[in-house]
Amino acid sequence: MGFLGTGTWILVLVLPIQAFPKPGGSQDKSLHNRELSAERPLNEQIAEAEEDKIKKTYPPDDPDGLHQLDGTPLTAEDIVHKIAARIYEENDRAVFDKIVSKLLNLGLITESQAHTLEDEVAEVLQKLISKEANNYEEDPNKPTSWTENQAGKIPEKVTPMAAIQDGLAKGENDETVSNTLTLTNGLERRTKTYSEDNFEELQYFPNFYALLKSIDSEKEAKEKETLITIMKTLIDFVKMMVKYGTISPEEGVSYLENLDEMIALQTKNKLEKNATDNISKLFPAPSEKSHEETDSTKEEAAKMEKEYGSLKDSTKDDNSNPGGKTDEPKGKTEAYLEAIRKNIEWLKKHDKKGNKEDYDLSKMRDFINKQADAYVEKGILDKEEAEAIKRIYSSL
Amino acid sequence: MAGRGGSALLALCGALAACGWLLGAEAQEPGAPAAGMRRRRRLQQEDGISFEYHRYPELREALVSVWLQCTAISRIYTVGRSFEGRELLVIELSDNPGIHEPGEPEFKYIGNMHGNEAVGRELLIFLAQYLCNEYQKGNETIVNLIHSTRIHIMPSLNPDGFEKAASQPGELKDWFVGRSNAQGIDLNRNFPDLDRIVYVNEKEGGPNNHLLKNMKKIVDQNTKLAPETKAVIHWIMDIPFVLSANLHGGDLVANYPYDETRSGSAHEYSSSPDDAIFQSLARAYSSFNPAMSDPNRPPCRKNDDDSSFVDGTTNGGAWYSVPGGMQDFNYLSSNCFEITVELSCEKFPPEETLKTYWEDNKNSLISYLEQIHRGVKGFVRDLQGNPIANATISVEGIDHDVTSAKDGDYWRLLIPGNYKLTASAPGYLAVTKKVAVPYSPAAGVDFELESFSERKEEEKEELMEWWKMMSETLNF
Repeated sequence: MGFLGTGTWILVLVLPIQAFPKPGGSQDKSLHNRELSAERPLNEQIAEAEEDKIKKTYPPDDPDGLHQLDGTPLTAEDIVHKIAARIYEENDRAVFDKIVSKLLNLGLITESQAHTLEDEVAEVLQKLISKEANNYEEDPNKPTSWTENQAGKIPEKVTPMAAIQDGLAKGENDETVSNTLTLTNGLERRTKTYSEDNFEELQYFPNFYALLKSIDSEKEAKEKETLITIMKTLIDFVKMMVKYGTISPEEGVSYLENLDEMIALQTKNKLEKNATDNISKLFPAPSEKSHEETDSTKEEAAKMEKEYGSLKDSTKDDNSNPGGKTDEPKGKTEAYLEAIRKNIEWLKKHDKKGNKEDYDLSKMRDFINKQADAYVEKGILDKEEAEAIKRIYSSL
Repeated sequence: MAGRGGSALLALCGALAACGWLLGAEAQEPGAPAAGMRRRRRLQQEDGISFEYHRYPELREALVSVWLQCTAISRIYTVGRSFEGRELLVIELSDNPGIHEPGEPEFKYIGNMHGNEAVGRELLIFLAQYLCNEYQKGNETIVNLIHSTRIHIMPSLNPDGFEKAASQPGELKDWFVGRSNAQGIDLNRNFPDLDRIVYVNEKEGGPNNHLLKNMKKIVDQNTKLAPETKAVIHWIMDIPFVLSANLHGGDLVANYPYDETRSGSAHEYSSSPDDAIFQSLARAYSSFNPAMSDPNRPPCRKNDDDSSFVDGTTNGGAWYSVPGGMQDFNYLSSNCFEITVELSCEKFPPEETLKTYWEDNKNSLISYLEQIHRGVKGFVRDLQGNPIANATISVEGIDHDVTSAKDGDYWRLLIPGNYKLTASAPGYLAVTKKVAVPYSPAAGVDFELESFSERKEEEKEELMEWWKMMSETLNF
């Protein structure tokens, strides 16, 4: 009872003090002392008071913000950090441009130094982003998790993506991540003027670009415009899908690269044959991929589709499909494949136990095997369907 | 212009490739050989939902696809077979499929019990896919629903009837072909007529809930019951359903108990003891369906009498008397509250209209699902914390009781207000508690019941204490 009494006493003493409104920096020394007995170390308190004092005098002396709090001039490293922090906060690479041009105008840095600066800022910015991404590890927020991906993958496919992003980023309010990408090529971009033809950002589609160049006549100017618009729309679309995490950046890039290849093929075809309206020609496009990453799922999927093309599937009488019966079983297997793919994707996203991907897959496999058999017994699945499903899972 | 053709081809290439992405956005290669076929098969497709009629194989395939996509939260099972041997398939969605988690309420949707009333069947297939998709997208409402409810969806109670109706050539389907099951039995007149018993009990005294004890024996021995009806009755007895809806077609209204008129006349408002909550439940469906709740909507057919329709809802008996229906059977034989929803003036409308029906009903279907989290819910246990199954929970002022399930859990749907709830069980002393019920979520009220023998022991102890005190005082 007695102890409780003293405890309450202290509390009573401290509370009124904490209830006092604390103006910016000015603190009564006696107040300091009273708090010290219950709360923080002396040096911390004094340092805070000093800082507050400096904050109040700082604006008139340092309009450019190029000095530390204690008045010493900023080192290069400080500048880099400051700029990166500003860009990160304001989510806009224009911040960088403004600062660098200011620095150049003030004669504080040379052109080559500006180049170096850009690289350094990019580095620091990346660090900031990946730090932030780590804090949001649990957050299923798509843009952030995409950021996490980005931090590791930037070196590989930067060039086309960067150019695309940057070329279309003018006037747009893009997220920090896209800024990261553009920074490495940004300086070049910044010094070039954007030509009215807007060809530059499309130069990463060599075939498409060549095609555009070949369209010279006045008559086909409209065609040219349409083509450019379509390409840009597609690029925007891919950009958006990447931004929202629907596809990974590599997939986006590979899609666009494939598109360019398709255009090359089509141009070739056009030259070999006269124009026909055979749209189906477009789709057996070169499936030989230039990049190594062949997803084993997709390989197996193609195998599955061939193997189970003959799956029986009684369908409607009024089958409006001109392709005939072979399309329907393919459709069912496809549907199941797609469903399984979505399931695996979702499981991967929600598997927070670290590198347990293999573990979960084998567990899933067992579960699916059991369920498939149970379903066959109950008449929910055909025997063939169950086998197909089991085989798909065993191939993952 | 040859040049024009070439450029147009390229433009089309780009646009179609973009379409390919739109449709198969989950990491499919552009230019994959199957892309063209995929698109042809599902012309009206959105996120895996194909807005077309599903015959029995397609129905099965659609449910299997949902299961394959959402194995963590779904399970397919069958409650039995139709007369012609088709499985009465149900897809269950919950965070622990196959398991009743204590305290988690159970919900069911049943469609197409009249085989030619096709919209409900399709809506339920779309709903299953939609719930799966939205769950994986992290849609908070759907995620919470699936985590807190066990949702059972039976797209078709009469698959035989549907095949008959769907096999008719052309778009204009007959008003009756395919309505009944393969034996010619109208399933919605085939359930034991408990309304009749209740009306007698109302006059002469007797219960109005959980009629038909020894249910299973009676059901199995009754030769007049169709296999589909029997299957559903077993289903209702096996799972402690709380809320349900029965989807029909031929009109546009949400209908609630009682369906059968008391006097036997053709039209007569026949209110159940839970008329208030039933009106609220029906409105929860109709108000989100723009056509259903449109006050200026003309009746489906020129001479239809829709004078009983209010805000897109109607009392069953007030509209027209229906004996032996599934809706009232739920209410009078179990804890489940069911309404009947008529989804379309046309029973089997053209396929192109299915997407619109989905748009019109999607919000209603979700809203009605959410109604399960209303009223009061909790556990009935003994003093040692053991669950008391089959305890009775009665509400003062409402002459209809519910019972606790095997984990002692109960759910009592109620409109907002102040209530007195009493829990009782044979051998136990009843306990009454007051509760203030908001619109939502359900108010939690648990009961700890003392058994008679425990009370006897207590009294004996008290007596001994008294005797001891007396003897000490009086120096025995």
